[in-house]
Amino acid sequence: MNAIGPALAVAAGLGGAGSLAGALAPARVRPLAAGVCTAGLGAAGVVAGAAALGGSRYGVWLPGLLPLAGVRLAVDALSGLFLAVAGAVTVAAAVYGIGYASPGGTHDQPPPGAGPDGASPGGHDMAAASPSGGGHDDGVGGSFGVGHASPGGGGRGDAVGGSFRGHPSRGGGGRRDAGAGSFGVGDASPGGGRGDGAGGSFGGHPSPGGGGHDDGAGGSFGVRDASPGGGGRRDGAGGTYGTAYPGGRPAQGIRSRGAQAVLPLFALALLLVPAAASVSTFLLLWELMALTSLLLVLAEHRERPSVGQAGLWYAVMTQLGFVLLLAGLGLFAARAGGESFADLRAGAAGMSPAVRGTVFVATAAAFTSKAGLAPLHAWLPRAHPEAPSHVSALMSAAMVNLGVYGVLRVGFDLLGGGPAWWWLLLTAAGGLSAVYGILQAAMASDLKRLLAYSTSENMGLVVVGAGAAGLFRAAGDEPLAALALAAALLHVVNHSAFKALLFCAAGSVLRATGLRDLDRLGGLRARMPATAGLFAVGALGAVALPPGNGFVSEWLLLQALVHGFAVPGAATAVVLPLAVAVIALSAGLAAAVFVKALGVGFFARPRSEPAARAAESPPAMLAGMGLLAAGCAVLALAPGLLGGPLARAAAAAGPAGGTSLAGAGLSVRLHHTSASLYPLWVALALVAGVAAAAGLARLPARRGRRRDARLWDCGGGAPTPRMAYTATSFAEPLQRVFDDVLAPEQDVHVTPVRESAYLVRRVRFQRLVPDRIEHRLYLPVLTALSRTAARARHLATGSVHLYLAYGLFGLVTVLAVLVVGW
Amino acid sequence: MTSGAYTQLLDLACGVLLLCAVVVLWQRELAVLVRVLAVQGAALAAIAAVLGVHERRWGLLVVAAGVGVLRAGVLPYLLRRALGARTGGAADPPPPAAYRSPYREDVSEARETRPVVNVAASLVTAALLTLLAYAAARPLVALHPTPATRALPVGLAVVLVGFFVLVARRRAIAQVVGFLTLDNGITATAFLAASGVPPIVELGVSFDVLLAVLVLHVLTTRMRAAFGGTDLDDLRELSDR
Repeated sequence: MNAIGPALAVAAGLGGAGSLAGALAPARVRPLAAGVCTAGLGAAGVVAGAAALGGSRYGVWLPGLLPLAGVRLAVDALSGLFLAVAGAVTVAAAVYGIGYASPGGTHDQPPPGAGPDGASPGGHDMAAASPSGGGHDDGVGGSFGVGHASPGGGGRGDAVGGSFRGHPSRGGGGRRDAGAGSFGVGDASPGGGRGDGAGGSFGGHPSPGGGGHDDGAGGSFGVRDASPGGGGRRDGAGGTYGTAYPGGRPAQGIRSRGAQAVLPLFALALLLVPAAASVSTFLLLWELMALTSLLLVLAEHRERPSVGQAGLWYAVMTQLGFVLLLAGLGLFAARAGGESFADLRAGAAGMSPAVRGTVFVATAAAFTSKAGLAPLHAWLPRAHPEAPSHVSALMSAAMVNLGVYGVLRVGFDLLGGGPAWWWLLLTAAGGLSAVYGILQAAMASDLKRLLAYSTSENMGLVVVGAGAAGLFRAAGDEPLAALALAAALLHVVNHSAFKALLFCAAGSVLRATGLRDLDRLGGLRARMPATAGLFAVGALGAVALPPGNGFVSEWLLLQALVHGFAVPGAATAVVLPLAVAVIALSAGLAAAVFVKALGVGFFARPRSEPAARAAESPPAMLAGMGLLAAGCAVLALAPGLLGGPLARAAAAAGPAGGTSLAGAGLSVRLHHTSASLYPLWVALALVAGVAAAAGLARLPARRGRRRDARLWDCGGGAPTPRMAYTATSFAEPLQRVFDDVLAPEQDVHVTPVRESAYLVRRVRFQRLVPDRIEHRLYLPVLTALSRTAARARHLATGSVHLYLAYGLFGLVTVLAVLVVGW
Repeated sequence: MTSGAYTQLLDLACGVLLLCAVVVLWQRELAVLVRVLAVQGAALAAIAAVLGVHERRWGLLVVAAGVGVLRAGVLPYLLRRALGARTGGAADPPPPAAYRSPYREDVSEARETRPVVNVAASLVTAALLTLLAYAAARPLVALHPTPATRALPVGLAVVLVGFFVLVARRRAIAQVVGFLTLDNGITATAFLAASGVPPIVELGVSFDVLLAVLVLHVLTTRMRAAFGGTDLDDLRELSDR
């Protein structure tokens, strides 16, 4: 009995029902109704995927459903893997989403920081103005500003500020989003009263005239002096906390009718894309997925202006990718003489190498852009952080996978493999984005941006595996190709599990505190113990160290690559060692990244008031994350369960490795290379080792040494949370090491007092780590485009006659071309 | 009807059609333009009638009658009313007595005084456009050379000339005349290429044109009420600067 067809039908039905429920149900039950339908849909996807991985196949042609071509669906083991992954992530994200959209959380309380808003005469005004005045800063960095106010009234205002985030502009002022470590000292000379804002964060006023715009995890902080005696407004100690969510309700957008109606459709599209079996069906579902995800990214557009910007980037890049895909697959279908995948497979062999290469390059560019690979990744670190968190989880753990699926389906299956240069290109892109993604993640201090860049890194690793598989296949070593492909697929599964968990946990933090900025978090372990524990499980998976699930797939990937050294050929001899080095480097950096995310975000003491007042998430959210954590644990301890299914999926993609990878529950054995791994024993040994170490450390303590002594604090007073490591300071050494790669931008502005050049009025220090690829690759294109557009404006003068003349001229030109060209 | 007479009649009707389009470019008096338009409509109806009689499709005669009534009767009548509303219209405030000299008698509204492209250049352009139409239609004629398809370039030329009238003339009434010339060209092309169209299609097209002319009529009146004239160059607000 084939369960795939009924399961897909159930999924489609539940998708429709969920969408209707989201659109029509009253607000109170809307998230629940839509969420339950979405969870059921995901479960149906898991059933279908598991059946396909078990070896059954399914194909159907519904000619009446779509004009001209009809809908063609087919599920094999490769589709089944992606179906099951998307389904599982959907279940967890839907359960999580029910809790996420439910009322409650800090954000339904009035915005924090109703503190004494200083009425100190002669105080000062802190402005978040971009230092480059109207420029556009983008990147990660910190900045530091010291300001002095001239003497005014009496008293003293002193504020030492932690990281700082301005209000989004209230009227065209300076605007900052997603700040990183910035540090400001404002010293108001004799003002009214004394306020000490140590450890506080400043909410800056928008600068009245500074049209600056900081985007990304960049930080700039300015303390502006008010004119002496002017009624400057003081803001600082206990003052207004500007948060990323000035409206204070992050879940408002996702609760809306539109978002709840679109979410089940998005989940359905995620399930059906891998099941599509003709070009028209595939493109239709692909576009449905892109559109619904775009709508979901924009769900919170009322709360932050940066959402609109992110949505624009995402829309443009995803549609450009779609155009490439349309061109590539259209060419393929035209040359193959049919648009169903079976026709493509049959026709691919007869095509000329140039056409095959064109098809591969066009589709691979589109698919790797969807997967967030390096040169085409610019949308990912923007769109993923701005989406509601369970949507981020779906996008990062299920949608980007489909980019990999597309590469595998077209490159391996439909085109039937190709020459080595295809795969070298793919491996290079994968390696580049693995290193670049994790480096940017190391610099990011926005938690969700960090996770988004880490997605780019992991997809890079997966594509390195896929590229290596293609290389091995081109060299004729099928079993090794199957092994590399299986490793890549296993990493897809692992990445989905831990990244969905991490995004959900980040969403819980965001919901509880309103903050994504690691510099201002901290101390959440005590306030949100369950979330902290779940985040730790996810982080363990992401660092690729033994007890985590990421380790197994990266180990497998390294095994495949290292054994590939024996494959003859100059290209492999150069590329494979480099790929191994890239994987090792990215794994090492990933450890630093997630130590930063976990340590700075959850441990130590809270560095801002919202972080100190955080509360644990509702049970539905914890349940969703619990499902994902359980998945991570199973994948980490018993990856052998997936051995057979992975081998079948790899075989469905092409390389007929057969039984190169075998798993018997608890172990992973490679027949080809006689290597094996017992993750459970590794984990047990580690646990035993840690327990032994802890026990040994306690042994000397038995002697009753005094432990409660106060540390000498160098005479500086009790340590404050401001003295703890922030994300920016933690990443600073790495930034120094990779100085040449990251090219941070650093600015020091010293403004002297008007009377004397020796008296410093203001020092501004600013450091940004921009996305270098973006600056070099995208900015020139964008400026050229806007320049052309500005010139084209002169064509539109408002004269009707001129417009009509354009029309006539166009018509006459077309006719003339026809006459001449006939 | 003999084949020779059919060809002669068809060519005569097409010639009148094209000649009317050229006269529209040549003449400046708006009242004359409307009269020329009526003649053109009659020529269009004649094309349909000749085709219908030749092929013995009586449905086409109905179409011809409808086209004749609309394009030679109703539309010119509407335009004449739009012209007439200017002189005695209540919307127009009567000019002060001092200005009521015969020379100031709203001359600018009765004539196309300052066309965007002058008449000589317009006529040369019309000739070039007709040549282009003949050149472009060659492959179409070659597909199935009959007397009707051989006349096809005329329809195309009328379309191009009508479009050029839109570009080259300032007054709103002249614009409407240009638009109708263009539409006559399209209809003629349809008749000649497809040997007539079914009545239901022609009915839809005719209603469309009628509605467009009514809307333009209203717009013209509003323009005159707002600006005192119908020079399209006064409407420059919609620019991207």
